[in-house]
Amino acid sequence: MSVSLFTASASIKKAVMLINDMDVNRFPLLLSRILQKLHLKEERTFSEEEEEKLQAAFGFSSNDLDLVLETLEFILQQAAYHTAKPAVLSEQLKQLEMKEDKVEKIVEAWTNGARNLVQKLKERTVHPNQLEEVKWRLNLQMAQASQSKVKRPNALFQLGVRNDSTGKKENIRLEFTHEELYEFYNQLETIQKQLDSLS
Amino acid sequence: MSIIQVKGGGGGGAVGLERTSFVGARVPPEIRAMIKPLSKLDQTAFKKILKGKLINSLIANFIQDLQDLQIPEGFHEDLVAMVVGPKRPVIDSFLENRRPRLPSLENLSWRTDVAISTGVLNRVLVRGVTMEMTLSDGSIKDFEMTVSKFQELRFHVASVLGEMEKLEKHSILKIKD
Repeated sequence: MSVSLFTASASIKKAVMLINDMDVNRFPLLLSRILQKLHLKEERTFSEEEEEKLQAAFGFSSNDLDLVLETLEFILQQAAYHTAKPAVLSEQLKQLEMKEDKVEKIVEAWTNGARNLVQKLKERTVHPNQLEEVKWRLNLQMAQASQSKVKRPNALFQLGVRNDSTGKKENIRLEFTHEELYEFYNQLETIQKQLDSLS
Repeated sequence: MSIIQVKGGGGGGAVGLERTSFVGARVPPEIRAMIKPLSKLDQTAFKKILKGKLINSLIANFIQDLQDLQIPEGFHEDLVAMVVGPKRPVIDSFLENRRPRLPSLENLSWRTDVAISTGVLNRVLVRGVTMEMTLSDGSIKDFEMTVSKFQELRFHVASVLGEMEKLEKHSILKIKD
């Protein structure tokens, strides 16, 4: 018994009716754009201009277009959430009384785009700060104000961390002596062992 | 989001790390070569060598300078003891800490996760590493990384460590003071 992807709410029923009346030739393009943008958190799928064009093309009012787009997005989101098999998606869409030709297009778009979409969704994290870049420099300190003839190796590291919500990138700059770097290395080795036990 | 966590933390300082010997990270070959014959030496001969070579070359200049500065003779012995005696490493590490530098990593707290499920995807099963770094300037940086990014970090740290060891082996001995 597979999970029910959709409940036949009033708005879904209305959306299906609108979808059934749509010109099927333009349908695939609509779906592929929706799929492309689905993994992004904030972005609009269509610009205002584009939405106006779509309203004209399909003969929808602004509200009707919104409902159709939202419903299609919802359908694909649910399919992604459950990583639904195409057959299951097909059957459940038919249960919503969606016409065969539209069901076919949706399932086709899903089948083609599923792997990519699921991969992108897997990468979405909750933590805002992501380590993006590691740069380093090895120096040999020769002297300082209080000491001549030093010859002390030290390593500079720059960790590029991006904040997903603000989009800003911060560079964390650290310096390590040999001993300090060795200690850091040991900690990284311990983390690696933990990761190995999780795989 | 449900996750499996494994926590660990590492402190700065001496936790889990042995003190580095006064000869440095690696024992110089000269010292290593000296050890065996040293055991065959008797006490008096050793004292002669020390007094002869060491005092003449290193200390003599120092004492000369003290005399030129007109520092009273009675203080010479104590000053010499500070420069070459057991307290010297304390002076050296004090000087090392006085140098201008970028912040060091004071403490690293870390966590490995497996993301099992999220709001957008029911079955995720992706591993990740979260770190919280406390730096010597007091700032706290926390961030997450994918496993592949972590491997990259680990690779870089290992490379630099290797480069440092190579550097200490060769260049340092070759640069003449």
